[in-house]
Amino acid sequence: MKRSIPNQILLYVVLVVTAVIVLFPLYQAIITSLASEADVSNYPPKILPSAFRLQNFLDAMTTAPIPRYLLNSIIQASIVTTSHLILASLAAYAFAFIEFRFKQFFFLLFLSTMMIPWEATIIPNYMTIVNDLRLKDNFIGLTLPYLATAFGTFMLRQFFLSIPRDLYDAAVIDGCGRIRFLITIAVPLARPALGTLAVFSFLQTYNQYLWPLLVTNDQNMRTVQIGLALLQDQERFLWNVVMAGVVMILLPTFILFIVGNRQLIRGLTAGAVKG
Amino acid sequence: MATLESQRSVRSSSQIITRQQMRALNNFFSAMLFLLPSLLIFVFFVFIPLLKTINLSLYFTDPIGRPVTFAGIENYQTIFSEKDLYNSLKVSLTFTLYVVPTTMVIALFLAVLSNVETKGITVFRVIFASTIAISGATASLIFLFLFHPAIGIFNYILDLLRLPRVQWLLTEGTALISVSMVTIWLTLGFNTVIFLASLQGIPEELYESAKIDGAGFWSSFRHITIPMISPTIFFLIVVSTLGALQAFTQISVMTHGGPVESTNVIVYLIYRAFYFNGQYGIAAALSVVLFLIMFMLTLIQFGVIERRVHYN
Amino acid sequence: MKRKMLFVMVVLSLIVSACATPAPVVEPTASGPSKFAFWHAMGGTNGEAVVEMMKRFNASQTACIGEAVFQGSYDDSLNKLKAGLQSKDIPAAVQMFDLATQVLIDLQVIAPMQDFVDADKFSLADYETNVLGYYTVNGKLYGMPFNTSNPMLYYNKDMFKAAGLDPAKPPRTYAEVLDAAKKLTKKDGDKVTQYGYSMAIYGWFFEQLLASSGAYYLDNANGRDARATKATFNNPEGVAILKWWKEGYDAGVFGNFGRPTADTQKAFDAQQTAMMIESTAGLRSRLSAAAGKFELGTGFLPRPDEATFTKSGTIIGGASVYILKDRPQAEQDCAWQFVKFTVSPDIQAYWHTASGYYPVTKKAYDIATDKEWVAKYPQFLTAVDQLHAAPNNRYTQGALTGVMPAARARIENAIEEVVLGKSTPQQALDAAATDVTKLIADYNKSVGK
Repeated sequence: MKRSIPNQILLYVVLVVTAVIVLFPLYQAIITSLASEADVSNYPPKILPSAFRLQNFLDAMTTAPIPRYLLNSIIQASIVTTSHLILASLAAYAFAFIEFRFKQFFFLLFLSTMMIPWEATIIPNYMTIVNDLRLKDNFIGLTLPYLATAFGTFMLRQFFLSIPRDLYDAAVIDGCGRIRFLITIAVPLARPALGTLAVFSFLQTYNQYLWPLLVTNDQNMRTVQIGLALLQDQERFLWNVVMAGVVMILLPTFILFIVGNRQLIRGLTAGAVKG
Repeated sequence: MATLESQRSVRSSSQIITRQQMRALNNFFSAMLFLLPSLLIFVFFVFIPLLKTINLSLYFTDPIGRPVTFAGIENYQTIFSEKDLYNSLKVSLTFTLYVVPTTMVIALFLAVLSNVETKGITVFRVIFASTIAISGATASLIFLFLFHPAIGIFNYILDLLRLPRVQWLLTEGTALISVSMVTIWLTLGFNTVIFLASLQGIPEELYESAKIDGAGFWSSFRHITIPMISPTIFFLIVVSTLGALQAFTQISVMTHGGPVESTNVIVYLIYRAFYFNGQYGIAAALSVVLFLIMFMLTLIQFGVIERRVHYN
Repeated sequence: MKRKMLFVMVVLSLIVSACATPAPVVEPTASGPSKFAFWHAMGGTNGEAVVEMMKRFNASQTACIGEAVFQGSYDDSLNKLKAGLQSKDIPAAVQMFDLATQVLIDLQVIAPMQDFVDADKFSLADYETNVLGYYTVNGKLYGMPFNTSNPMLYYNKDMFKAAGLDPAKPPRTYAEVLDAAKKLTKKDGDKVTQYGYSMAIYGWFFEQLLASSGAYYLDNANGRDARATKATFNNPEGVAILKWWKEGYDAGVFGNFGRPTADTQKAFDAQQTAMMIESTAGLRSRLSAAAGKFELGTGFLPRPDEATFTKSGTIIGGASVYILKDRPQAEQDCAWQFVKFTVSPDIQAYWHTASGYYPVTKKAYDIATDKEWVAKYPQFLTAVDQLHAAPNNRYTQGALTGVMPAARARIENAIEEVVLGKSTPQQALDAAATDVTKLIADYNKSVGK
């Protein structure tokens, strides 16, 4: 599509301005994480980077064992994400491609899990995990209640539904089994959705605070959001150190996002169904 | 093939019904197999806890949440007779109305923008999608800093522009809007990516033939783009609404339900009931009410909106 | 059914504890030292100091090994403990904020500190009576104070000088504060660039101002002569506090930086407000933020008038350590050893200088490191003087009821209503009192009272 020069420039201007707005909060977090205590207790605040104080990161790690917590969170989130990808693909496949009785009922049943407030389940689950199953302070206890996802099922179902029916019918005629279809055709086509689900599930788990607080006591099992709480002291709130913690905590999800994004892009540019 | 079928039909009509029934049964069991792992988790960690919570809502509880005496519907009577529930419903609804349409529009705009094939567009795609990687807690902390009434950047920018300062999180009018801003920013990445993926799935030929027919940008947008991405729009509306109705972290970190209950969304009301007030029975009753509301809302959305969705 | 079980358990444990001989000294068992856990809510550098304290304790003897576990904020810790009580997932020692005192007593999970003190013949003579007063209920000490503070006035001496005020004489009464604030407020056109005074919308400040005005928050002498049944903070003294707050705010000389205390602190550090009230525990932070920028002054918490300075004083706030009785005796004894360790003069000096909280024993002030610290930060003497000037009465012992956390939040709501002009002080406090009284009634019913 050939664009005129002024249109091209306009396009870039809009892109850059929007990008700056979207990135601004993140940019602030980063420069604050490198600022000195004086910088963050003064008026006017700094819009441009004022210091390069890597010490903040060391201070954050002294107050809270962030690397250990990061590792735990990554393991916990990876377990849940993998489970989500598998379980959601299986369930979405059934909802999109199999005709079976009570399908609407089961789909609504799945969806209903998204409508139950977390407060209604967290204490009973705590009792089950800690009391009945004795799974305190380990990854199974941390992840078990969260291994399935109705949200992921829903999202993948929508994607599967937008795959043209003829493709499916042709595969059936060719004698393609259900699982084979799922793995070789449906999943690759839904790569953008899967990539997004992976980041989403990873992040949801990563974001948990109360659940890990309840089911772990061992310092070696604690997770990242607890670390963030550990950095905050009401009497001596050091924004620069807290932001350093925030930046460190954002790093894994960003890396995952950049890596997963390539999958997304590949999925996007290949086009969903171009013949 | 046809002859075989008619031969079969000649043989015995009851046998064909059985075959159909068998296929239906086969399908059902296959489907169950695919659904089983998820269902098991849901039963033990979602539905049974929900039943326990419903049970708890029928009792008066002690300070650590154990049922003490049977209350029947008294907890429900209490929550429906006080103004807290109605205020929270209003706040939650307002919040949802602020967040969902705005995010949809902005995300669609960003997706259309990044759908353009031009040099370096990938960089912008990554930037626009980047808020996926940020959690509610970290975003809230960052924005707390930006919204600071004295040393926050936003007020500083207003100072530079000689505009009056805004008490972002401190006045009833602005607090909910500020929290909405954070939520919109947070969910932009996800919505943009989903929209973009959907846009990319629209066959180029549709646009080509529309152009040949003389359709302009807006016309093809309304008649091609929107219908083609309607499954996605539907999905995002449902999911965003459910998400907005359950928004919690931003409020917990930034406003604690205030000022003067203006950001006390219903999920926070439930949290406060059990976390700060130790009223487990009441919190359980509120949870049940919220669940029923979301259930009905989603049913409505399915009934009304999915009908207009264009599936392939 | 569950309540009957609880009753039986209580009776049994009473019998058992009556028959058991107290063992103040813990010997390492044949299988090695006894392990115990200490749950706390200290984050930031305070959290590091707690870990250090536990390290020193473990190094100082061989019978016990303790582990300090961070359990989030005070509210988080309380909820974690509540959940844990249902599944016996509890530690031997736990730090709980003052507001949780009544709940813990009602749940009957505490092994009262008094029992350990008596069995060990531990002398509390050198301990600050005001500090112990909060946690003493019906003559019995339930918890051992761990980190205590109260609020005082912080002010910017440079700004005082610039406004023609005497930097050595901070205002003492509400009226004086208002006057000074008017002189200290600076404007740039319509915009205020420097407020005279501000205080965070924090329920604790209201409780403190009320107590130091010589008034009760709850009936039955703050719930200490008998169980509290209703809220009384909508009395004239309470209304006077909010009237003062509103007056200053309407006059444009009191700044409102919201509920988070950290936000008002930052405003003060950034010289956007000339005065503020804050915890004594924040002194070090204020000093390091002021270093090189301005000279920091401290004064007593403002009172409605001069007379109240002798009638009453501030409440000791903060948290204390409780020993929980549903742990094996060996663990409880270890917990007591740990508590004794933390309140020894040396450790109190360490904790005091590291955190800024008051030492609970007067002997800590004699330790060399403490002396240096106080010499270096003379502003701290204001805090000590304020502590010692407060009489130990029912006002200063603080309000006791199981719904204190909820009450505090409800008051914050009331303050917001007044500041934002939605209610008058009397209306706001009356509404809050009605709500809190109902909460108290429900709570008392739920614990069978």
